[in-house]
Amino acid sequence: MTNQLEAAVLIGVLFGSGIYLCLSRRMLRMLFGFLLLSNAANLSLIAISGDPSGRRSAVVGANSPAGVAAVDPVPQALILTAIVIGFAVAAYLTVLVYRLYVDRGTANVTTLFDDKHKGGASAQAEKEGEA
Amino acid sequence: MSGFFDIAGTPANLAALPIIGPIVVALFCLLAPRPALWRRILATLAFAGLLVHAICVVAHNLEHGPLILRVGGWLAPYGIVLYADTLAGVMLALSSFTALSCALFGFAETPVRDENPLRIPLLLFLLAGINLSFVTGDLFNLFVAFEVMLLASYGLMTLEVGAKESRQALPYLTLNLVGSSLFLAVAGFAYSLFGTLNFAEIAVRADALVGDYRLTLLAVLMLLVFGLKAGLFPLYQWLPGSYSMMPSPMAAFYAGMLTKVGVYVLIRIFGTVMPAELTGIHSLIAWTAGLTMVIGVLGAVGQGRVQTILSYHIVSQIGFMALAIGLHSPFAFTAAIFYITHHIVVKAALFLVGGSVTRLNGTDDLSRTGGLWRAAPWLGIGFVLQAMSLAGLPPLSGFWGKFMIIQEGFTQGQWVLVTLSLVASILTLMSMLKIWLGAFWKPAPEDRPVVTTARTRAMSAVIVGMAAVSLCIGFGAEKFVRIAKHAATETLDRAGYVERVRGSNDTLYPNKTPGAAKENPKEITQ
Repeated sequence: MTNQLEAAVLIGVLFGSGIYLCLSRRMLRMLFGFLLLSNAANLSLIAISGDPSGRRSAVVGANSPAGVAAVDPVPQALILTAIVIGFAVAAYLTVLVYRLYVDRGTANVTTLFDDKHKGGASAQAEKEGEA
Repeated sequence: MSGFFDIAGTPANLAALPIIGPIVVALFCLLAPRPALWRRILATLAFAGLLVHAICVVAHNLEHGPLILRVGGWLAPYGIVLYADTLAGVMLALSSFTALSCALFGFAETPVRDENPLRIPLLLFLLAGINLSFVTGDLFNLFVAFEVMLLASYGLMTLEVGAKESRQALPYLTLNLVGSSLFLAVAGFAYSLFGTLNFAEIAVRADALVGDYRLTLLAVLMLLVFGLKAGLFPLYQWLPGSYSMMPSPMAAFYAGMLTKVGVYVLIRIFGTVMPAELTGIHSLIAWTAGLTMVIGVLGAVGQGRVQTILSYHIVSQIGFMALAIGLHSPFAFTAAIFYITHHIVVKAALFLVGGSVTRLNGTDDLSRTGGLWRAAPWLGIGFVLQAMSLAGLPPLSGFWGKFMIIQEGFTQGQWVLVTLSLVASILTLMSMLKIWLGAFWKPAPEDRPVVTTARTRAMSAVIVGMAAVSLCIGFGAEKFVRIAKHAATETLDRAGYVERVRGSNDTLYPNKTPGAAKENPKEITQ
């Protein structure tokens, strides 16, 4: 496990910066933060199968050496699924951020949730009631 | 009842129907030709069919035991297992019943030509994801189920929302995205710890790790991930805003089902998968639950809109269910399962009442509503029954659930938690009275008289129908408690679960070596 230290550090850095970006007020940064987070999770999945050096691939071919341990294929199957799902969610998030920008004319979360220049929450509920 | 399942040859194949069915119907609905009436008929038939199927699954469980489908015939720890036991059957029945009621309410509310063509297909995809999370037998498929469910729910949530409210989707989305990444990492962690993702195999290998700090860490992480989905105490902030922005039939479905998926998974994970020796985690759940109850109900006190008040009450009631899980005994699990059954029906119906109030008064802001008792007495009767049930007045369904949870709390000597739950119940009654006085009892505002139409009467009919079901749960409590007890016993019978998932392999595939299923836990220290 010790020879995977660099993977562990990388995953930690990616998770940390992903969460930092998700906490940002700017929606575009949140989008990038989510991309980093999903990649960090994917990396941690692939790191589970262990250090690949000295091991053969999980697929047995004609010239695969006998008696050599194979890399665990299950994490690879998991990560494929996770990448597809992460892609779909990232696409949705991009569209939502764009829609919020179109709806409210801002890409900043503080302005987005600021009701003052719109007349407060109750006035907003009233407008909604009349609509 | 078993005859029903014999039609398909291998009865276990029917465990996949609640997942495949909605997806196929959703695709048909997407391709349906212009008259949207077909879409409605098809969807209604699908929901009703799934409800009948789920009831048959429960009946089959009571007579013969669970339906276990090994997809593709692969052995248990390597292949995908779908496992429909009594608990899963009950949850499937609840999800299809809620979907049916909410869809019917939506049909009554909106004329056919005005309905968004994507609403019903997305609802069906959402149902498929929810159902998969009920019948799945491994952790990674649970992740996939959650993602199917969440993607459909993101879409449905922002589908018909106006420009003013669309921003409420952002907290829901962001928290769930972080939660999903964490879930993925937790699934990876579980795999590295156990070398498997199958629930039954994890259960076996976790027993060997009792006392290991890594198992405790995994349990805490799982509580974090599923507590976020369920809306437990520090993680509930996304819930009230996002649920009150949707059109009422969809909000009712979300309010009824989505958080309860989280609760179901907590029951499954801490009842079946994780060893019962994790008492520290159980008391953590119980105390978080106590805080959730009180803080949720206090949040509701200050609110002035029907949908927002009800949203905070979801948080509070999640606390009751989680408390029962935290008490962790067969009786407490019976109470939790019974409470979920009661809560889903009641909460969805109350959200639909909120939708009717908005429709009749033009708003659900309680300072400007009124006159509904005179104008729509049936709606009022439906509301009173459900609200009293939510507060826990006998002999309605909520009373029995709370009674069992509090009794178990007394038995275990948890005086503080019992007191918290009683306080939460009284405050719930107060909030319900507030809605009653504001929307029903008070005279209507003079500038906007209440006008009932055929549509609003049809909407009330759906609510009265749900109130009738809720009354049946209350008066027929004995029968429902018996089913819940059966489900709870099955859930807590970890050895039996493992045996059923593994053992029948040998009878089904006698040529394979039975020892193949028993592989040593993967060493991670190397």
